[in-house]
Amino acid sequence: MLNYSNVIENDKSYPGLQMREIKPVMKLIIRGKKRQFLSAVGKSLNLLLPNEANTSSRSDQLTALWLSPDEWMIFSNEILKSDYNNYDVEKLLNKNICKTNLGAVTDVTDQFVLINLKGDKIFDLFETGSPFNFNDFKSKKGLVTQTILTKIDIIVHNQDINDVNLFVRRSFSDHLFSWMNDSASRL
Amino acid sequence: MFLINCPFCGEREQSEFKAGGEAHIVRPKQPTELSDDQWAEYLFMRKNIKGIQFERWNHIHGCRKWFNMVRDTSNDEIKAVYKMGEKPPVK
Repeated sequence: MLNYSNVIENDKSYPGLQMREIKPVMKLIIRGKKRQFLSAVGKSLNLLLPNEANTSSRSDQLTALWLSPDEWMIFSNEILKSDYNNYDVEKLLNKNICKTNLGAVTDVTDQFVLINLKGDKIFDLFETGSPFNFNDFKSKKGLVTQTILTKIDIIVHNQDINDVNLFVRRSFSDHLFSWMNDSASRL
Repeated sequence: MFLINCPFCGEREQSEFKAGGEAHIVRPKQPTELSDDQWAEYLFMRKNIKGIQFERWNHIHGCRKWFNMVRDTSNDEIKAVYKMGEKPPVK
């Protein structure tokens, strides 16, 4: 990860809601359509990409999120070294996917900010600014959705019950986090 | 405001989508053989009817995929949603 300043200076805590940025975490977007692409990724990472819409899959080190029928986000489960921007996973995928013309790999580590939310008020917060219906989503572990929160594109990953990962583009993250704090203080 | 059933992601609210105009407009095979009027007809003229209309939509704040929709423009009732390249399920 490059040496960007933290978007979120301090962890924030409200009754039933804790928010903090998790960094540095490797994030890759991979795109491909062919069946060989899916099997090459599976063999390279020992991780099956989720085929079903709005779902995710997880191995010991990586999590894959379904974004569209030919697009996935892969991120590391563990925090990495902050002075390091060369990832073995990316190199491996470049070798097995890009150079064989099966698909594309893009490093979005610095493009996306990962905010982790914990608590039973997470979806009360989301419902104040998102048109997405979270009723079924919140009770199913591993579901993923891309939607808008206060008109900002976000990716929401329901990691566990009352434990959600939110990905937002870095340029919007400061505004989004200040909006989330404002909204959380009124819940 | 209405709900749209994205063929890839499922039911979402309209604000996640962007309308892309009339669907099933075929590009002329030999554009150089067309007159200016014929080319303008292809390029600019759209039906914009009150009633059943075939449209292209993009799930721009979701999966970012294009798809087709059959919509009654008089009351926003969605008759069908289908993927690009598929034949319309209703006439």
